[in-house]
Amino acid sequence: MISNAISLLIAIPLLGAVLSFYAGTKAKFVALIASLIPLALSLQMYLEFDKTSKIMQFVESYNWVPSLGVKYTVGIDGIGFPLVLLSTIVSVLVIIYSWGETKKPNQYFALLLLNEVGVLGVFTSLDFFLFYIFWEIVLIPMFFLIGSWGGPRKDYAAVKFFIYTHVASLVMLLAIFALYFTYQMPDGSRTFDMLTLLAATADKTIFPTSMLNIIFASLLLGFLVKMPAFPFHTWLPDAHVEAPTAGSVVLAALLLKMGGYGLFRVILPMLPHVDKAFVTIIAIIAVISIVYGAFMALAQKDIKKLVAYSSVSHMGFVTLGAVAFTWMSVTGAMFQQFSHGIITCVLFMSAGTIQHVVGTRVIADLGGLADRMPKFAVIMMAGFMASLGLPGMSGFVAEFMVLTGSFATLPVYTMIVVFLSVVTTAAYHLWAMQKAMFGPILKKYMNVHEPHAYELFSMAMIIVLSLIFGLQPGLITDIMGTAATQVMEPVMTLTQMGVI
Amino acid sequence: MYADYAYLIVALPVLAFLLCLFVGWHLPRGGGFLTVLATFAGLILSLGIFSEIYPDKIIHQSMPWFANFNVGILIDPLALVMLLMVTFVVTLIHIYANGYMNGDPGAARYFAEAALFTASMLGLIFADNLLQLFIFWELVGLCSYLLIGFWYRKPSAAAAAKKAFLTTRVGDVLFLAGIILLYNNLANLNLALKPGEYLLQFPVIYANLAQIAPDQLTLIALGLLGGAVGKSGQFPLHVWLPDAMEGPTTVSAMIHAATMVTAGVYLVARMFPLFYAAPYGLTAVIAVGAFTALFAATMGLTSFDIKRVLAFSTVSQLGFMMAGLGSGAAVGTLAVGVAIFHLIGHSFFKALLFLGAGSIIHAVNTNDLREMGGVGKYMKWTMYTMLIGSLSLAGFPYFTGFFSKDEVILIAYEYGALINMLPYIFLVLAAVLTAIYTFRMWFSVFTGKERSNYAKHESPWIMLGPLVILAVFAFGFGLAAQDDFYKYLDSNFEHYDLDFVELGVIGGHALEGEHGAPAVEGEQGAAAAEAGHGAAAEGEASEGEAGGEEGPGEPWYIQILPIFIALGGILIAGLFYWDRVKKFDPSQVTGDKDPIRKLLLKGYYQHEIMTGWFAETVVYGTALICNTIDIKLVDGWLNWLSALVLGFAQHVRKVQTGIVQNYVTALVLGVVVLVVVITLAKEVGLV
Amino acid sequence: MIPLELYILLASTMFTIGLYGLFTQKNGVKLMMCIELLLNSANINLVAFSAYQPNVNGQVFALFSIALAAAEAGVGFAILIALYRLYGTIDLDNINAMRW
Repeated sequence: MISNAISLLIAIPLLGAVLSFYAGTKAKFVALIASLIPLALSLQMYLEFDKTSKIMQFVESYNWVPSLGVKYTVGIDGIGFPLVLLSTIVSVLVIIYSWGETKKPNQYFALLLLNEVGVLGVFTSLDFFLFYIFWEIVLIPMFFLIGSWGGPRKDYAAVKFFIYTHVASLVMLLAIFALYFTYQMPDGSRTFDMLTLLAATADKTIFPTSMLNIIFASLLLGFLVKMPAFPFHTWLPDAHVEAPTAGSVVLAALLLKMGGYGLFRVILPMLPHVDKAFVTIIAIIAVISIVYGAFMALAQKDIKKLVAYSSVSHMGFVTLGAVAFTWMSVTGAMFQQFSHGIITCVLFMSAGTIQHVVGTRVIADLGGLADRMPKFAVIMMAGFMASLGLPGMSGFVAEFMVLTGSFATLPVYTMIVVFLSVVTTAAYHLWAMQKAMFGPILKKYMNVHEPHAYELFSMAMIIVLSLIFGLQPGLITDIMGTAATQVMEPVMTLTQMGVI
Repeated sequence: MYADYAYLIVALPVLAFLLCLFVGWHLPRGGGFLTVLATFAGLILSLGIFSEIYPDKIIHQSMPWFANFNVGILIDPLALVMLLMVTFVVTLIHIYANGYMNGDPGAARYFAEAALFTASMLGLIFADNLLQLFIFWELVGLCSYLLIGFWYRKPSAAAAAKKAFLTTRVGDVLFLAGIILLYNNLANLNLALKPGEYLLQFPVIYANLAQIAPDQLTLIALGLLGGAVGKSGQFPLHVWLPDAMEGPTTVSAMIHAATMVTAGVYLVARMFPLFYAAPYGLTAVIAVGAFTALFAATMGLTSFDIKRVLAFSTVSQLGFMMAGLGSGAAVGTLAVGVAIFHLIGHSFFKALLFLGAGSIIHAVNTNDLREMGGVGKYMKWTMYTMLIGSLSLAGFPYFTGFFSKDEVILIAYEYGALINMLPYIFLVLAAVLTAIYTFRMWFSVFTGKERSNYAKHESPWIMLGPLVILAVFAFGFGLAAQDDFYKYLDSNFEHYDLDFVELGVIGGHALEGEHGAPAVEGEQGAAAAEAGHGAAAEGEASEGEAGGEEGPGEPWYIQILPIFIALGGILIAGLFYWDRVKKFDPSQVTGDKDPIRKLLLKGYYQHEIMTGWFAETVVYGTALICNTIDIKLVDGWLNWLSALVLGFAQHVRKVQTGIVQNYVTALVLGVVVLVVVITLAKEVGLV
Repeated sequence: MIPLELYILLASTMFTIGLYGLFTQKNGVKLMMCIELLLNSANINLVAFSAYQPNVNGQVFALFSIALAAAEAGVGFAILIALYRLYGTIDLDNINAMRW
């Protein structure tokens, strides 16, 4: 048992970020090591993790600002741990993928590591104050990644990304303050402790429904913007299109997951206590996100924008599964988070690779690339197949569980999703594939060649992961299943769990 | 003992897939021998299993997978005959492909994909639960996509692959919806499952069918039928099948004969109890099947591409199988035996015909019937094996197709006698057309004068060998296997906790064995029964024990009609296309301007409707509208808001004049105002 | 003991002079001086009140204020010197590159 595992998990990339900032051209080696250690650590934690236990594990709690009730409390359970695993895996692969970065590499890798710090912090914090700090930390490296390494409209995209998500975060912060100032501990003090506050929301005498509705809606807005769900999604395509490949990957694979994580950690425990209309509202948002995202992807001309909208569509499954609130659907939604986190990497990496091998991402300008890049074509094909929900890859398992589970409580919405999104999803993937990769090779692309080995390697690793989790989902759904049961029960505080 | 290694039937082709994918490039002929060996091992294993469990055992192995689902192997008579057929036919096709694909730079890729295709199909067959079946079902779809698009440099191939995947995907959506419905219905029953039992396992589904509400059963059945319609190329989702010819001919043979398209029929057969219990399940099946049979046959008449003729014939024959299954409303589980028998017979002669066509194309280098002619002079083996295949397809007496197809027509008649004659009429017409277009093809290819200057040589023996073996089966299988086959498959559902009488009541069917006195349309059925039994004695063997004794029989003219159908069809084709007896010219019947001919040539304008109108206009149009909404509205209000803020700021910032005195003035004025306000507030007592 | 009123009178006179300077002067250095006058008039008030009502808080504040004023003057003059180098003048009316 590693002591202080989570603090190490957060501290090592932070240290790595500082070191790689000063490491100049050696930054990539520092970054790789600084991301491999957390990966090893999280794998060790996976072995030690008790998959059947509903209590928080690896808990650490220290007083931070006692007069305000702020504590440094971190811990993981089935909701957070799969995402921790995802973050460490994706961070390593992203750093490997960016091996050839030559523009200010020290800053670049430092920012990537800082991103890892932020998301790991979000997925492990059990104190709203700490949670919010990490939540906001993430914005900064991403802002600079888009703003400094981005495409032609990087300024617009970076500012839009920052302001949009930041405003939503502020709304969320207000809700957190509302929770903080309403609930008093038995001894009269205030606390930011997440589980305590969430457990208190069940108490109608402290949080009357009318008040809780407002708090709930504010928190929801913060998370839905981050997901992002229709109609709050428009920052995403812009951010993705302008961001450098690694930025896009981190954005889609990790940052969006923070929104989903918030749904499971904060929204679902409150859901039974708020107005029932919220279920309908969220379900409608989810369905529109899925269907609309798929249709939007179909209309895109830029392959990266297409992938961005596919993210909107896929993250809609998370919302749908969460709000359907059955064991199967919640498990599936959690798995969809994990699965989309993996699969979207290969999609964005493919788009990025096309961009810097060929020089354009406009689908209509591409053609016959499979002829010159057979290995890349195979990997990209596998990634696209995984994304469109091919059985045997992780995406199918997740979507199947979400749909099957959601049908029990939201039959109409589920069927709309099934009938409108499944074929459309397949259509835009295959259309992009056919236009970009198949057909006769265009003359101007006679000289293109396979991308670098490190790019192929990180993409291939993701395909392998997707296959592993698609063929043996039990590896991670066991954890999520326990978490899903836990989400549907009343919240237990850390004291009740007996971990502090 | 073989049963313990049943998983290898799938595992070995998967291994072959991996080997071909990664090291196939370094092996002779792209590592094709690996694929052949893997499939052949599957055949041996299947035969071993057959020897172990025939005639009255089944194999059921299962292990937990994730959540509430399991993976398992279920080999009952239905699965076993399919396993045997697929491994056998596909082995031959792979052997043939070793010749056919020789020299293609992508041979390794071909054999990898072919191996995966085989593995998926085999996995689909012996799946013990619906989810696993669906997974392999989708993998079959993926492999068909990869294989149809094998020559991806050809834009038409890439487009055809996409079309195949998307069209079958439409069916898969319905299938998925059916699974979701079924799962939730079963979950709502709160069954007390024993360890090792899972909700979507076939035995569990069978055992609990009777508890599900009938309207739900109908919905589920329609969903599953939707999947079958997509995969088996039934109307209206058959549009991908003719285009699927863009792949190598061996792929067409695999897709059309042994794998893929048969999956839909297999699904309906596998879920037959559900269709039987669902009030409108089998009605939908027979309606789709009979209509498709005739519809596709008419298109087969006019096609000039030899592979397209065969493709339409496949669609048509699949319609026969579906119609056969749908006739189960009248004849019960016998329908499964009949339909699967036709499926297997069809797989022999259709594989034969496709491989023969491949052999011709390999030599002649064109698909166009108008450019062939007189090929028989140079390709004797191909000609005679294809003759056998064609006779079988046309239903010439004592060939496999005769027994299998005519049995379908007969049970459709029984369905007609009990319920509705329309399917029967459709099937008879389709059968006539089948004979005509088959021999139109055969005569135009092999007889007459050379209509173009093509290469004249016979194909190598690695390709002819499989043709000969298939020809033997296409000729003899029907006669040899028929009776035992029906009995064996009729026993299929006896292994499960099922009561067809009870299910029949739910589905509102005339009960099997209730001899000619069905509740629905009594007098018609009774009359048919009377007439039928008189003729039973002289009836041909195909009308064997299973159906003849129990169900209402058929009058003698119905029994011998199929013989005349076949002969008549061949004769008509001969009169038009065989130079030795040619009496008419096709152009005498239809001119270029003939609207019907044009309609058929255009394939009823389905491409225009499905791809041109629906996919490109409706779906893509919706997408474009969404895009406009997104830019103008969803993102628009955001940009509007930021423009508003910026515009406001443009004005407000004018306050910053950059002159210190202005700031000081404002400051002092501010203080004065504050003081005045506070004082006034104190005066009126506000503070 | 000098009555408190006189201190206040002194302070307000100083304040008014400073304010007058702020309104009328354009030279950066003069403005700085006026600001110092304003600050010091406040300091005088603080110290005077502190002396009349025995409480050291006022004197502490005055000390703070002086330190602050010193810092402000330091930064301010540094800026002025930099401005002079850049523009060749410290007439603040001419230095308006950052207005809207």
